[in-house]
Amino acid sequence: MTTTPDPLKPNLAETTGPHVQVVETDAGVERRSKEAYFTASQGQLIWARFKKQRSAMVAACVLAFLILTGLFAPFLSPYNPTIAGKNDDYTNGAPQIPMFCDDNGCSLRPFVHAVERERSQETNFRWVTKVNEDARNYIYFFVEGWDYKLLGVIPMDTHLFGTQEGFVHVFGTDASGKDIFSRTFHAIWTSLQVGTIGVFIAFVLALVIGGVSGYYGGWIDSVLQMITDAVRTVPAIPLFMALAAFMPPELSAEQRFFYISLILGLIGWPTLARRVRTHLLTERNQEYVLAAQLCGASSGHVIRRHLLPSFTSYIIVDLVISFPYMVLSETALSFIGLGLKDPVNSLGVMLQNVTSADVLLNYQWYFIPVIFFIALVMAFVFVGDGLRDAADPYSDNNK
Amino acid sequence: MTALLDVENLTLQFRTDEGLITAVDNVSFSLDKGEVMGLVGESGSGKSVTAKALMHLNARNAVYSPESKITLHTETGPVDVLSLKTPKELNIVRGGAVSMIFQEPMASFAPAISIGNQMVEQLQLHGDYTKEQAKRWSIEMLDRVGISDAGKRFNQYAFELSGGMRQRAMIAMALSTQPKLLIADEPTTALDVTIQAQVIDLMKDLVSEFQMGIVFITHDLGVVAQTADKVNVMYLGRMIENGPVRDVIRQPKHPYTQGLIAALPKLDDLDAPLTPVPGDIPSPLERPSGCVFHTRCRQVVGDVCKHVDPKDRDLDGLHRVACHIYTEEMA
Amino acid sequence: MSDILIRANGLSVGFPIGSGLFSKQILKAVDDVSLEIETGSFFGLVGESGSGKTTLGRALLKAVPITGGGAHYNDGEVEYDLENITRDQLKDYRKRAQLIFQDPYAALSPRMTVRDIIAEPLEVMGLTKTRQETDKRVREIAAKCRLNLEHLRRFPHAFSGGQRQRISIARALVSAPNFIVADESVAALDVSIQADVLNLLKQIQSEMGVTFMFISHDLSVVAHTCDHVAVMYLGRLVETAPTRKLFAAARHPYTRALFSAIPSLDPDDRGAVQKLTGEIPSPTNQPSGCKFHTRCPHAIDHCKKVEPQLEIDGTGHAVSCHRWKELMATQAA
Repeated sequence: MTTTPDPLKPNLAETTGPHVQVVETDAGVERRSKEAYFTASQGQLIWARFKKQRSAMVAACVLAFLILTGLFAPFLSPYNPTIAGKNDDYTNGAPQIPMFCDDNGCSLRPFVHAVERERSQETNFRWVTKVNEDARNYIYFFVEGWDYKLLGVIPMDTHLFGTQEGFVHVFGTDASGKDIFSRTFHAIWTSLQVGTIGVFIAFVLALVIGGVSGYYGGWIDSVLQMITDAVRTVPAIPLFMALAAFMPPELSAEQRFFYISLILGLIGWPTLARRVRTHLLTERNQEYVLAAQLCGASSGHVIRRHLLPSFTSYIIVDLVISFPYMVLSETALSFIGLGLKDPVNSLGVMLQNVTSADVLLNYQWYFIPVIFFIALVMAFVFVGDGLRDAADPYSDNNK
Repeated sequence: MTALLDVENLTLQFRTDEGLITAVDNVSFSLDKGEVMGLVGESGSGKSVTAKALMHLNARNAVYSPESKITLHTETGPVDVLSLKTPKELNIVRGGAVSMIFQEPMASFAPAISIGNQMVEQLQLHGDYTKEQAKRWSIEMLDRVGISDAGKRFNQYAFELSGGMRQRAMIAMALSTQPKLLIADEPTTALDVTIQAQVIDLMKDLVSEFQMGIVFITHDLGVVAQTADKVNVMYLGRMIENGPVRDVIRQPKHPYTQGLIAALPKLDDLDAPLTPVPGDIPSPLERPSGCVFHTRCRQVVGDVCKHVDPKDRDLDGLHRVACHIYTEEMA
Repeated sequence: MSDILIRANGLSVGFPIGSGLFSKQILKAVDDVSLEIETGSFFGLVGESGSGKTTLGRALLKAVPITGGGAHYNDGEVEYDLENITRDQLKDYRKRAQLIFQDPYAALSPRMTVRDIIAEPLEVMGLTKTRQETDKRVREIAAKCRLNLEHLRRFPHAFSGGQRQRISIARALVSAPNFIVADESVAALDVSIQADVLNLLKQIQSEMGVTFMFISHDLSVVAHTCDHVAVMYLGRLVETAPTRKLFAAARHPYTRALFSAIPSLDPDDRGAVQKLTGEIPSPTNQPSGCKFHTRCPHAIDHCKKVEPQLEIDGTGHAVSCHRWKELMATQAA
């Protein structure tokens, strides 16, 4: 009896012989990798080029890490970063580094020493904190603490770590006893939010104004360019000051936050708009756009099929590059006391806190958020640069 | 005739994201004083890279093989070009004893400096001139290349000149330092035919006047026939045929050179069909093994073409070709 | 006698230059051009840069506005007056007349696969109903242009200049046009590839009956491919004739100068040519009278004052020169 061979499953033993294994030849592998290159879309090529830049990749990892810490700030923070979570017994407290061993022996569970506060004649009746080397506050993971909503939705009270008795302040505390560790992550998140909203407003304005100006050209372009230039010439700091003075002092932290973002967005659009316009103008005159128009393609088709895809990569790059400026502007505003104010947690507020000589001399741990701030801005700049190099076909100097 | 330039075993690769790409593969040639050598090839043939190597001008990711040697014979003795490192040493081959003119003249003029000032600056950098002398000499050079009203042009900027004038000004600037060797990289490609004819004439005059050696890079065999004394045909970084211009153009030996000439539309026989060289130029990433031309060759002798790199063979003294057809016949 | 597909009558194209409200200057890129292109022919248009040849080609495709004179298209099925064409007519005309570009790199969107590039005209014009139908048509045309069908899902960056130009040709052909303007379509290609693309265009002309207008600066290429040649200088037609006639006996001094400027392949044939001095004047500042008089070795005072008209003889050879008969006579003597 003969079986009809299944066409979908060729009998390998028959075609290649019983002892011949089907091996992947080098040539085959090479051909496949080449085909992958040939059929790679622009996005894939950009990603492949981006991956090759080590500094940008490191920055991207740092950035991703910082964004995640911002997203999960309440979970990571052992204490409420606002005044509600302050530790009255440990104001201006130095960072407590978790340890495993002390004079009393070692433990597998990390701990910090408890601190006590006392006021006596010996201290001239001033409050003085003293580390009690004999009392240990053990650190536990996934402990229950203050209530929060994860990502603003899920109500939770579990935190990554904490103590059952006493407190642990990894980055120390500030003058009112708030945990700087908790504040830092919340501040990153606030600054990212302000930046995102600012960039978003700027981006929408830029896209509309730059798009109209670049696509239609002519007198519309001239008028819009004049407006753009006018906005560009407005000096930022005096404007910020004027607007801040205009802002009623009784505004709540949230309202203030919203207005700051709005101001940043309204100031930030001209540069982006100009880029959108320039890009549209060059792209609109590309021969392949003319080819589409000669087929009778409508404006809608040209925009959808050619113009938008052509600059999404550039727009993403521009967004990433303009982001640190938003964060910087927010920080600058808050720093000069016109933006968000303590007790709101933003990087600018945290930066403002380090300005006194007292901090420099005695409470150097106030500088820890500054490191995060620098890391955040640098990460954005490096990722932006990496993306720009990857997206720019002219940076490609292969022969 | 005295030797001016010796290139031996020049091999040049570029380090890129996709790996090492061979741009020039074991190229050797020499040039005498007052001789014009045409370097012919299509895109990707490595002709421009070879020329830039003569000035040690290639990008940072260029890797020269240890056997590569470029010797320039100057009045003060031979100079090993590839061993030059510091900008001061490199001055000899960049604008000093060697000058280069490009396809796009705008590229060699700074847009914000007048043509005259650029020429003066260059002269003072490479020679012992006072400002007055340099100016006088520059105007003389501009006049020499056929720029009318040279005194006035001296103060103009590159963008104020028309394409042909710009090309002339660039030639004047390149020649003002009285180089021993001039490298002309497709100097007429961007020009209209009538202007091209003028520039070719000018260059021919200048060779006889200045007695320098010229490496003339072009893809146009007609231009080579009109200007060169000898021809070097390159394909994918290999020198596949070289010899006196009459021999190479009238009796091309390599199938590629034959194909190139057959592919040219000829005015004296309008009925002759145009025979393209079959296939496409392989991408530098897919450099064929064996003879680099075998993927498009109509006269493949056998497997030997696919696997063995043909040796450069002497046909009759000066005419050399790298092709297995002739190896077979000789053997 | 074959039909006339395109007939231009005193066609002019002008661009306003300078954005000043009061000093509006018009740059005449194409000036009073009349020509006829026969159905199924390969019509060559030759000139140097700045001669207006590209603009003329685009005007015939209605890609730039016609500012004077007119042009008619008649393929037997439909007849359009290109100057006063309606929206719907233009939509239909786009299917019938297409353009092939010079630069095969700029003409293909780097973000679309080859299949999508070739299919775009079909989708825009609504020529095919289903994806299957589109695919079938794309494959058919790609095969005709000798493209590897396996490469259709690749992006343009995978291809060399010659292959890209074939993709460009496929895109122009996919709507089955009657008239194609090929603007310097082989100028950017290597010599060994150029012949291949030229042969492909010729094959398309003979097999599909497409009429070509072949724009080039290279007389030798035009001589080999075209049936009829027109020579332009500064927006004017200076000479037009069947190819053989033109090459056997060019009448205009400019045409003759163009011929002699082609570098000869013979190394011993050096310098025996009549060279033009000077360069093509700027179109914004055109000479009076005959536009060529500033560079013409035979110019007389009359040439500077009076503009010559195109004189056509019975054989279809037309020239616009005051002195051509005189010059032909001295040459013969």
